[in-house]
Amino acid sequence: MTAYLIAVGIVALIYMLLTIGLNLQYGYTGLINFGVVAFFAIGAYTSALLALHGWWLAPAFVAAIILASIFAYPIGLLSLRLSDEYLAVVTLGFSEFVRIVLQQEEWLTKGVQGLPGIPRMFASMGVGGYADVAIFATLVACNAVAIGLMLHLVRSPYGRLIQAIRDDEVAVEAIGKDPRRLKVQVFMLGAGLAGLAGAFYAHFITYLSPDQFLPLVTFYVWIAMIIGGTGRTTGAVAGSVLLLVFLEGSRFARDWIPGVSEVQMASVRLALVGLGLILFTLYRPQGIMGSRR
Amino acid sequence: MAITFIDVVNLLINGCIEGLLIALPTLALTLVMGIARFPNAATGDYMTLSAYAGIGVQALGTTSILLAGLGAIAAGAALSIVFYLWVFRALRGRAPVASLVASIGVAFFARSMLTLFVGHDQHTFAIPLVRAWNFGGIRLLPTDLYVAAVALLAMLLLFAMLHLTPIGRQMRAIADNPDLARACGIRSGRVLLALWATVGVLCALGGMMFGIKAVVSPEFGWELLIPAFAAMIVGGIGSPVGAVVGAVLLGVASELSVPIVGPSYKIAVAFGLLLLVLLVRPRGLFGRALVAR
Repeated sequence: MTAYLIAVGIVALIYMLLTIGLNLQYGYTGLINFGVVAFFAIGAYTSALLALHGWWLAPAFVAAIILASIFAYPIGLLSLRLSDEYLAVVTLGFSEFVRIVLQQEEWLTKGVQGLPGIPRMFASMGVGGYADVAIFATLVACNAVAIGLMLHLVRSPYGRLIQAIRDDEVAVEAIGKDPRRLKVQVFMLGAGLAGLAGAFYAHFITYLSPDQFLPLVTFYVWIAMIIGGTGRTTGAVAGSVLLLVFLEGSRFARDWIPGVSEVQMASVRLALVGLGLILFTLYRPQGIMGSRR
Repeated sequence: MAITFIDVVNLLINGCIEGLLIALPTLALTLVMGIARFPNAATGDYMTLSAYAGIGVQALGTTSILLAGLGAIAAGAALSIVFYLWVFRALRGRAPVASLVASIGVAFFARSMLTLFVGHDQHTFAIPLVRAWNFGGIRLLPTDLYVAAVALLAMLLLFAMLHLTPIGRQMRAIADNPDLARACGIRSGRVLLALWATVGVLCALGGMMFGIKAVVSPEFGWELLIPAFAAMIVGGIGSPVGAVVGAVLLGVASELSVPIVGPSYKIAVAFGLLLLVLLVRPRGLFGRALVAR
């Protein structure tokens, strides 16, 4: 039971990294990223492929962060020229594009067969048990650093500027600040966090295939952010824990309700995510904890 | 294998037909973008559900494609109006992002209801099998001509409605300048109801025609969303003529790319074209210079 809880906790912490990154992009800066899963996938495949070629995990993780940020750079640049909704479409398209590349370029990714046998983190400690505790602890540390970084950013003059961009970009320009560079930086930072999350995912699950990176994952992260309250630092924590309670809970629900197949349960999950997006936008745009701004 | 002139002609013909079909959801997207002012991500899933409604009518024992089409149109219009009344009407006056996120929710929710109650099986419409006409290597499928003719007819009717009827004039007035339209006493409630009914019909026809040309599966509409977005942006947002031209261009471009990059990269070609237009001419071919930010 403890082992199971730790495993679930690890996945929740991975989602938490993704949610913090998205919250930085959308919650604070107003950049609509509908392609979270693309940067998650880039991070996961980068780290996995490097590790399979004999790299140590630490540099592979760094490479995952860097590569995900590099891919975010042109899209961040593009966001400067586009209004918010266009960026949403472009990022959604980008995530589908990445998934198709992962499917088709078999020489690199083994396509739909997937990549098995990715080295686990802390493999010297065995599988499960202490190794999982160590992964859990590392993730807690990474999340703490990410939250600390975000708090620091939000409270710094830089952060006030970031939030000002969301609220009124013209005013930011009028006081002589350049919002453009900031936007690109924030977009890359968020993507880097997603890349890190991807690396953790790859070396915890140890198997990757393109169908783990459907757009649905992006909207899991969105719903986690919306539940917690966009633009709230603690929101990412609460949101991703609640998301995992829901995802895991729906798995257990099958034990109580007989005669429900896994395929049907997947439909129920999709229905609830859809319903969640609709109902929260309609009735609680500030999340469950926040007060209406 | 060398590509002959005949092959190119065949690809061109195919591209035009595909383009005419994509034009239907693109028109639905561009009308919503112009009048309700958000990118409706549920467009593809309206197509899917309508096509399944058509399959459902045929499952009742009729082989009439006309009856199936009428069933699909009724389902599409009903679906579109229900979600307008429930979701999008309440979100008027909020930022476009709210409607965009909610439309993703609508897309997931609608698709999940389909997979939950109908299942994931692929279906085809019962249509009389006909042989392709062959003009010295140039192949023409009568079915293709039939679906293209229906799409063209639907577009003619749409343009007639937009330009010859009072409700169409009111739609264009709201698209042009909502404040002025209101000052002139145009009641936007009625116009929006008509808009969403039109959107439902366009999606239903698009879904049916794609279903007749290929197969109906729960994901097919969602997969057409990125190409439809791309066609809308290529043509210029809010411009119905642009939507048709953009869709045909996109169809031809993605067909001609097949011998070069293979069929699975069609979505990538759409994405690339979208990026190119956004970078070089963000207002698209027929868009006005002053696009709402």
